Amino acid sequence: MSEDVTVGVIANPASGRDIRRLVAGASVVGNADKAGMVFRLLAGLGAAGVGRVLMLPAADGLSTTLHRQLHARHTVPAFNGAGPFPVLDELDVALDGTARDSEIAVERMLAAGVRAIVVLGGDGTHRVVARACGDVPLCALSTGTNNAFPEMRETTVAGIATGLVATGRAGPDALRREAALRVEVPGAAPDVALVDVAVSRERFIGARALWRAGDVSELFVTFANPSAVGLSAVAGALRPLPRGGGRGLHVRIARDGAAARTVRVALAPGLVMAVPVAGYRVLALDEAVHVAPGPGTVALDGEREIERRHDEPVAVRLVRGPLTIDVDATMRIAADATPAQPAPG
Amino acid sequence: MSAVAPPGTGDVTKEQVLEAYRVMRTIREFEERLHREFATGDIPGFVHLYAGEEAIAAGVIGHLSPDDYVASTHRGHGHAIAKGCDVKGMMAEIYGKKTGICHGKGGSMHIADLDQGMLGANGIVGGGPPLVCGVGLTAKVKRTEQVAVSFTGDGGSNQGTFLEALNLASAWHLPCVFVVENNGYAEATSSLFHQSGVDVAKRADGFGMPGIVVDGFDYFAVHEAAGEAIARARSGGGPTLLECKVGRYFGHFEGDQQTYRGPNEVEELRRDRDCLDNLARRVTESGLAEQSDLDEIDRAVAQLIDEAVEEAKAAPDPTPADVLTDVYVRY
Repeated sequence: MSEDVTVGVIANPASGRDIRRLVAGASVVGNADKAGMVFRLLAGLGAAGVGRVLMLPAADGLSTTLHRQLHARHTVPAFNGAGPFPVLDELDVALDGTARDSEIAVERMLAAGVRAIVVLGGDGTHRVVARACGDVPLCALSTGTNNAFPEMRETTVAGIATGLVATGRAGPDALRREAALRVEVPGAAPDVALVDVAVSRERFIGARALWRAGDVSELFVTFANPSAVGLSAVAGALRPLPRGGGRGLHVRIARDGAAARTVRVALAPGLVMAVPVAGYRVLALDEAVHVAPGPGTVALDGEREIERRHDEPVAVRLVRGPLTIDVDATMRIAADATPAQPAPG
Repeated sequence: MSAVAPPGTGDVTKEQVLEAYRVMRTIREFEERLHREFATGDIPGFVHLYAGEEAIAAGVIGHLSPDDYVASTHRGHGHAIAKGCDVKGMMAEIYGKKTGICHGKGGSMHIADLDQGMLGANGIVGGGPPLVCGVGLTAKVKRTEQVAVSFTGDGGSNQGTFLEALNLASAWHLPCVFVVENNGYAEATSSLFHQSGVDVAKRADGFGMPGIVVDGFDYFAVHEAAGEAIARARSGGGPTLLECKVGRYFGHFEGDQQTYRGPNEVEELRRDRDCLDNLARRVTESGLAEQSDLDEIDRAVAQLIDEAVEEAKAAPDPTPADVLTDVYVRY
């Protein structure tokens, strides 16, 4: 184990309380479960040789449970013989409960020279981290079933894969260059989305999560996976495009009655809707699309984020996004690199 | 299956948004004026002011009809105004006058008007949630499609009454919405000291009920979430816990020195998180309403509050004989 290999961990304790719990029955992952995910992640990171973890201080419910589990490691006999754990250092950041917490955490982690950052949260948390992380690889993990960018997977294995990347044993094929969508509205600072941008006629941000397709007029995606949950599934149903392929899709949603075709997709967990489509086309890297002025909102990765003035246009451009760790590819590379053992007997 | 999503409650009409602004401005003026008048010593009893939290009262109660019920808290003026209680009658009530909506016998903390579906402010912390279980059960048995909404603070959400009410409403699938106005303080104790876990809404999980969090300074956020919760309750979908993160402009009660708050905390709330400024900016920038529409409301509200205070001061006190009236009530 190498003390000097440090990995950052950001676990958002506030994810999973939006309106989708009410309107669609989306899953609820409690902070005790998230603490368990972090604990198992530490086991994986330690096994792969990561010596130190820098973590955004977790709020009450998550932190207490995590520290109890770490304490139990030393006292409960069943844990005897378990592998090394990294030293856990919590960043000295005063939390204000907003996205700014994650931004500050990423800045501190970069300054501390982390080799990778593991994010446990939804699409929104990942978007915030991706804006700030530069080319430090992300291990994107979901804490619920309601996300398109992070993966829902066992954190022990994700920890091993992240550790292999952080200790330089995985090589470039373990990483994937994601795309992103850069959004410019005259009245707001430029922003990015990792999965999708939706232009909606709904005037106000309201309860943030975008769960009605009826008011969406334009949809942009960085990849199109038919198995996704959320608006990007509309693109997936029309024209599947691989993740990391450098091509996106622009879909025009039809008003009632004017649809060229209709696709049925899971807009949120428990909410399957028919969405009328007017047309679509493939977007190349660096290509920009300009949406005509009009009132309404722009949603980034499923959350209404920008309210347009009635006379403001929107420009959306497909750009290079963050590097992410492809856990399956990393584990395969590690298996291939294992020296052949003599056959038994 | 419908080709488009069901009609949204997130978007609002110009009429809705101007009515919400009128309600919020009326609450703000009512409370700011009470703050000044209380300092003169003319108002009897305790007064707990709602200023800063107006977007919640307007965003939730705007979805209710006069037949629906609200059970409020000790900080109840905003809920009463939003539910349609007479503003002049309320002011007279708080002054303890015979012309008050409870004939001067309730005052600030027991202000009520059953004709408006306002079950009352409540001197018991956590007193409202059990009441709406009763109302909700009545509505369910009589199949009236009425909805009952209770308000509670973060302090009240630690009371057994609150948790018992969540359990009963969920077990009996009652048409109730439990709104938590989390202003960060149980009287003078920060929620960091009195509450385990960051969100009260998570407590809903244990009772098998949806629990969600919204920004209580944002009228549109509250309006959309409350609209869905109330529609769900009305259509037989059962109760919801809706937590609104917010902050109060004044102390726990008038006279509270607030030594437990940060030096610039209230100043920053007023500057950065004013729900009325937020609403006004967004409706005018989006082109939904003009500044002149809002100015007209401001003028009318200022005049209403001036008249309410003048009339309340001039109104007669209850007489000793009034003590013996309204003691027993036949329902």
